[in-house]
Amino acid sequence: MITVVREPEGREQTFEHVHTVHKLLNKLGARPGAVLVIRGAELLTQDRRIEDGELIIVRKVRSSG
Amino acid sequence: MKCRRCKEPAQVALPSHNTAFCPDCFFLFYLRQIERAVKDHAMLVPEDRVLVALSGGKDSLALMVALAELGYDVTGLHISLGIPGSSDEARRIVTEFCAQRGFALEIVDTPALGLAIPEVKARLRRPICAVCGKIKRHYFNLAAIEGGYSVLATGHNLDDETARLFANTIRWDPDYLAGQGPSLPAAGGFPRKVKPLYRLGEYENACFAFLKGLTYATTPCPYSQGASFTGHKALLETLELRSPGAKIAFYDGFLARGRPAFEARCAAASRPLVPCARCGAPTNESPCGVCRIRALLAETPDAV
Ligand code: SF4
Ligand SMILES: [Zn+2]
Ligand SMILES: [Zn+2]
Repeated sequence: MITVVREPEGREQTFEHVHTVHKLLNKLGARPGAVLVIRGAELLTQDRRIEDGELIIVRKVRSSG
Repeated sequence: MKCRRCKEPAQVALPSHNTAFCPDCFFLFYLRQIERAVKDHAMLVPEDRVLVALSGGKDSLALMVALAELGYDVTGLHISLGIPGSSDEARRIVTEFCAQRGFALEIVDTPALGLAIPEVKARLRRPICAVCGKIKRHYFNLAAIEGGYSVLATGHNLDDETARLFANTIRWDPDYLAGQGPSLPAAGGFPRKVKPLYRLGEYENACFAFLKGLTYATTPCPYSQGASFTGHKALLETLELRSPGAKIAFYDGFLARGRPAFEARCAAASRPLVPCARCGAPTNESPCGVCRIRALLAETPDAV
């Protein structure tokens, strides 16, 4: 199971059997250039693997106001 | 995915440029895009004293860091608007950012000048973002003139610029089309204005801000619905997805082949600028628009 925090909302979600960033973005319905996918101090491109137990931040890129 | 330059694992994929980079190589790419913008549009010279408009968002903070890294003499300018929920956060973030990185900062507090945006919104029957934008531009100009800065830099990015161009184009607004561009020369008492991030999209700026460890404001302005051409940005995004590079081609093509025609048409009709009798800002008609709003708010404190 991976844990995902959506920013800026701060909403937390968990996912089973999602092991690439590409799959995660599909589940979230997010376009790759519209969000940063953050693990620790690192940005993850679509092809990267993600593992059970990891915390991933998905941060919206668009600013408003 | 590997970095195109050094073959380390890539962290930033850029389909518009058909490439991907590791953080260090991405920083080089990012600074080169700015250098190219600066060179192509004669934005800055090494002697410039640059006033950088800092909203607290990722674009403006990234711009400040990048210009400093490129060796420019930069000072930040933050306009604090008195908007509940977002202005305090923005001000705190900008103040901490400048303190941590040793940047000089000027702050203009519009409520202290009789122009708290919620009050302006309550009193005027015009879309608040248009008025707010006018007020911000006014104080950017005044701060640049009063502080003796040669140029004012803003963090407008490729998405902002193409969305604005698209909006101006579907309305075929000749004045706006003549005046839009990443570099506006000093004229009639206004400082030169430049947008060094115009070749870089929101995604690139967000990546740069994150990888540089910048804390930026994310609380949206409560009045921001429909602001900054959200719908137009979404349309252009769809276009970019289908044909990567479409946005920069649209914008660069306009600068090279579209704008000259509108400039020629509008030059003849432009009215001369005069100094505002109240605040000294250059304006078509004295008193300037912002001084008229201030007077209105001061005279009719209870009117709705
Ligand atoms: S969203 Fe509108 S009202 Fe809010 S800060 Fe931006 S321009 Fe001003
Ligand atoms: Zn590299
Ligand atoms: Zn005035």
